[in-house]
Amino acid sequence: MFTTVVMKELKGILLSQKFALTFGVVSVLILMSIVAGISEFTAGARQYDTAVQLAEQQLREASNWMAISARALRPPDPLVVFVSGVHNDIGRLSSINGHEAVKLLNSVYADDPIFAVFRSLDLMFIVQVVLSLFAILFTYDAITGERESGTLQLSLANPLPRRTFILAKATGIWAGLLLSLSVPMILGLLVVSLAGVPLSDSDWMRIGALFVGSLLYFTVWVAGGIAVSTWTRTPSASFMACLVLWIATVLILPRVGVLAAEQLVGVPTVAEVDAQKDGFEKAAWEKQMAGLSERWKKREEAMQGFSKEQREAYRDAHMWQWMQEEDAGRKAVQTEIDAYGLRLQEDLRNKRSAQERLAFTLARTSPAAIYQLASMQIARTSVTLKNATETSMEEYRSQFTAHVEKKQQESGGTGGFKITVDSEKGFSFSSPRERGTLDISDLPRYQWNPTPVGQLLADAGWDGLLLAVFALASLALAVIGFHRYDVR
Amino acid sequence: MSQPTFEAVNLTKRYEDGVLALDHVSFEVHPGQIYAMLGANGAGKTTTINIFLNFLEPTEGEARINGVCTHTDPLAAKAQIAYVSENVMLYPAFTAMQNLEYFTRLGGRDHHTKDEYHRVLERVGLQREAHDKRLRGFSKGMRQKCGLAIAILKDAPAIVLDEPTSGLDPQAGYEFTQLLTALRDEGKAILMSTHDIFRAREIASTVGILNRGRLVMQRSAAELGGADLEQLYLEHIAGHAA
Amino acid sequence: MLRLLIIKEIRDIVGSTKFAVTFGVCSLLVLLVFIVGARAYHTAVGQHDAAKRENLRRMEGITDWMQVHDMNVYMPPQPLSALVAGVAHDIGRTVTVEGRGELTAHDSRYSDEPMLAVFRQFDLEFLFTVVLSLFAILFAFDAVSGEKERGTLRLTFASPVPRRTFIAGKLLGAYLTLVVSLLLPIAAGSALLIVMGVPMTGDDWVRLTLIIAAGFLYLGVFLSLSVLVSAMTTRSTTSFLVLLVVWIVAVLIVPRAAVLFAGRAVDVPSVDAVAAQKAKFSAGLWGDDRSAMAAFKPSKSGDMQAVMQEFQQMMQKLADDRDRKMREFASRVNEERRNRQDVQEAVAFGLARITPAACFTLAATRLAGTSFEMKQHFLAATERYQKAFGEFMVAKTGMNPGGRMVVLRVVVGDEKKPEPINTAEIPAFSYAPMQVADVAGGTALDILLLLAVNLFFIVGAVAAFLRYDVR
Ligand SMILES: Nc1ncnc2c1ncn2[C@@H]1O[C@H](COP(=O)(O)OP(=O)(O)OP(=O)(O)O)[C@@H](O)[C@H]1O
Ligand SMILES: [Mg+2]
Repeated sequence: MFTTVVMKELKGILLSQKFALTFGVVSVLILMSIVAGISEFTAGARQYDTAVQLAEQQLREASNWMAISARALRPPDPLVVFVSGVHNDIGRLSSINGHEAVKLLNSVYADDPIFAVFRSLDLMFIVQVVLSLFAILFTYDAITGERESGTLQLSLANPLPRRTFILAKATGIWAGLLLSLSVPMILGLLVVSLAGVPLSDSDWMRIGALFVGSLLYFTVWVAGGIAVSTWTRTPSASFMACLVLWIATVLILPRVGVLAAEQLVGVPTVAEVDAQKDGFEKAAWEKQMAGLSERWKKREEAMQGFSKEQREAYRDAHMWQWMQEEDAGRKAVQTEIDAYGLRLQEDLRNKRSAQERLAFTLARTSPAAIYQLASMQIARTSVTLKNATETSMEEYRSQFTAHVEKKQQESGGTGGFKITVDSEKGFSFSSPRERGTLDISDLPRYQWNPTPVGQLLADAGWDGLLLAVFALASLALAVIGFHRYDVR
Repeated sequence: MSQPTFEAVNLTKRYEDGVLALDHVSFEVHPGQIYAMLGANGAGKTTTINIFLNFLEPTEGEARINGVCTHTDPLAAKAQIAYVSENVMLYPAFTAMQNLEYFTRLGGRDHHTKDEYHRVLERVGLQREAHDKRLRGFSKGMRQKCGLAIAILKDAPAIVLDEPTSGLDPQAGYEFTQLLTALRDEGKAILMSTHDIFRAREIASTVGILNRGRLVMQRSAAELGGADLEQLYLEHIAGHAA
Repeated sequence: MLRLLIIKEIRDIVGSTKFAVTFGVCSLLVLLVFIVGARAYHTAVGQHDAAKRENLRRMEGITDWMQVHDMNVYMPPQPLSALVAGVAHDIGRTVTVEGRGELTAHDSRYSDEPMLAVFRQFDLEFLFTVVLSLFAILFAFDAVSGEKERGTLRLTFASPVPRRTFIAGKLLGAYLTLVVSLLLPIAAGSALLIVMGVPMTGDDWVRLTLIIAAGFLYLGVFLSLSVLVSAMTTRSTTSFLVLLVVWIVAVLIVPRAAVLFAGRAVDVPSVDAVAAQKAKFSAGLWGDDRSAMAAFKPSKSGDMQAVMQEFQQMMQKLADDRDRKMREFASRVNEERRNRQDVQEAVAFGLARITPAACFTLAATRLAGTSFEMKQHFLAATERYQKAFGEFMVAKTGMNPGGRMVVLRVVVGDEKKPEPINTAEIPAFSYAPMQVADVAGGTALDILLLLAVNLFFIVGAVAAFLRYDVR
């Protein structure tokens, strides 16, 4: 009995004109998104490679340890082929040096706003928006359509339990759509593996997880459409209800979560924090400078009453020590500034994480948001990408500056140049000798260390579970709705 | 004799797929006459009516309303013809009154008052309570009544009906035919297709039997006299089927 | 007759549950967009003011203009960019202006707060392109095929109704209903803007009106297309399916695909390559100047003041020269990139304009001042500011060293306590989106395209209906 209904549904779907049309469109879209994703990834990877080379070249051309500055670059993850996420919104690189904090710059969209106008077209988007619409299209009239055409009465005139009927119907529709969806998906994977995208085993594992997620999300819509159909009377009513539900779930709810979080949790802007940091820096230097005058005055006072020769001798004897003192003072100030900056940054990150957590918790009332967040998590293009990148670059910065400092001490001397206007010696300009290229062979280079797959999948697993709960709840609603359905 | 209101001259219709639905059919209906078309399912009745309404163009021959050819001057022809379909379909979101008003004005009659609409709806037997209800919940009989009201209000010299009484209860069917005879007596020419031999016999001025697109029999009420129409019908259908 | 048909059409649409639902949802969404926009504007103003305040505060207590190296300028929020975000959140909002040197914008909203980038802003442009267009289809997908299914088409054409009049009535009725039913919530939303204290200027209102007019034209495209498709199909489910596929392709796919294609088809040198080129050139210039500085010999020693003066003059001259050379080089490199980008944009948007969705997006963002050209426009404004700032610094300190250079004046000996500088003297940055007159050319093309597509589909609908089998 169950299989009879399942087979009828399968046949009904596979032979319909509706199916032929949508199957064609969906296949083209899926393949197109994957091809577009591959070309986007390869372009990004190429850009990354040249940028790494350029950065390396700049390091090689650096002529003194004082002014050396490296660039840390974030490579694109191969899974951006399927899920762009915020990959293009977040800066690709940061300068790494002693006097600037880590700051991600040059996001793809900021560099070339042309790509931001319509944003990218990835598989996640197709599944989230287009496939969900198609799922509705095939399910909204599951019950109402049969009621209107009178076949529902005919079917239920048989000794067929209602639960069997509705579950068989759902299974049939679900299997029919899913079987046909797997064709372009598998084709797409074939294209990916043939196109030479460098995928490791763990990447394939993530791709597998991505597909399971897509499947679950699609199931939620199939079950949802059928549920709506059991709670409405006419196909047009079910369709309107489905469409409203779709708009609310896919377009509205996720954004409402973010809006609410924005209003509830205040976070200072980066510009504000930066200006704050600058202010602190300036004040710290100011203090140091004021001290400088004082200290020189004191040193002058110590020479009170000396003859010219005594003075020179005293100066020559103490100059090294004085310079050391000044240098230590400067370093102390820089450390203080760095610490303050990191504290501000940390504070900002904590506040922002709190805001994000709230926003995404609220957004998770929508399966579309759950699916999107989980996919982005799996593809390593979620919002945590920014913090992860920044933190790893900060670690690199401390290694880098430590190394540079050591080198500076070894080579002695400072960078820049010094102009002295002295009432006794007159004008003098000094600049350290240019030493040609530096030995940078043991200078640490930035290594991008991505979040381990296990952790990603564990995080995404919860979202998968949540999607399954949504699917089961919808199915339960459908069964309940159909139990009390007036088949007349 | 006066000019016929309905006039079919050698009407022939061959569909694109080659089905010959009408084969040189000719007949006339004069004012004050009811012409009943009988025939099996698929005989060509609806096709004939479609040609009179210019929903179809004849392959050969002509259909005329008061001398106006329906496919060369469809608007002028339609101004003189009122139509009641087998299954009257109206706008479900509108009330009976709104539907009536809309279609009457579409027919070019926009001088009617609300009272007149009510009167005509009552005349066709639709209870007063139903006048301002939406069509959504109307039964088939109620919709047929609205359809007839629209036809009456159009006040056209020619009325064409496609199986108007199918699916009506006996009383409604009776009232419906009463109304038709009244309209006939007002001088309308009426062309109807029907499967109801007895009712046709009762009210028709002329009866035509179509079989596979051909007019195989046509007799006026006088010519029929006391003959058994059912017998005749079966004979003609069977005779030609062989 | 036409009036009768239009009135009937309006009544038919308005009386349906479909309309009640869509109207309710639309009104809610339109109001939501305006409320969200107004809130977003206030948030942005708050952030902007805070950043500006902090920026000035960091200079408090400085007693020497010499120590003012740079000035951060922030893109001021525009009321319209809160309604039509365009790329406003994608491009950098902050520019650190030094007296000299090339300017770059950083801290885009989305890179600062990637949370917002996940779902992007729900704005007027999105509402029109995605949601309302879907509703426009819903309005009219069964215009003809639905009446055929219901059987009313037969009855209608048993009356002497010219087909042309009938289809004209359908089109006009649908247009009127759509426009009027949307104008209500839009008017309410606009009133909300005023109530919520968004300072819309007369110019802003003109822009908003134009955006909404373009939006209606865009919806008109889908409306007339729906009537056309419904006049080419016999079943309303078929009409809807066809329209949905067209909608997905036109709204979601083609614009993105066009830009992606242009991105791969036209090679633009990467930002990094250009930056590396410039860095190398700049380093070379510095090297030259450094030796020039080292070779400096004051013409007459003794008078400290005079020596300092002379040195400053030399520095100023060197810096000016360096700046000029750098500018020339940068503008050449930038120009090359810009030219490639222009080609890329021409290809991308030329292709994208196949679909009315892209035409509308381009027109709306242009009118709101948030189109892809916004970055250029903003940087141009900051460059003008840089000049004013440089001149100001020269007036204050006698030189415009431009950033990086740190001048420390260690005065040994007694000196009277210096007065702190007055930060209010620093010239203020002002930014205004492109003038309506300037964007008119670009938008006119899109609006004309939208009009043309409307006409095309209207004519198509009439032609299709003239051949429609009304049985
Ligand atoms: N659109 C069409 N295309 C091809 N053949 C058609 C078409 N419409 C009707 N026919 C054929 O024309 C013939 C006459 O059909 P018509 O509808 O006129 O019959 P009818 O007498 O009204 O039958 P019924 O009593 O069942 O209403 C039939 O054989 C039918 O199959
Ligand atoms: Mg028939």
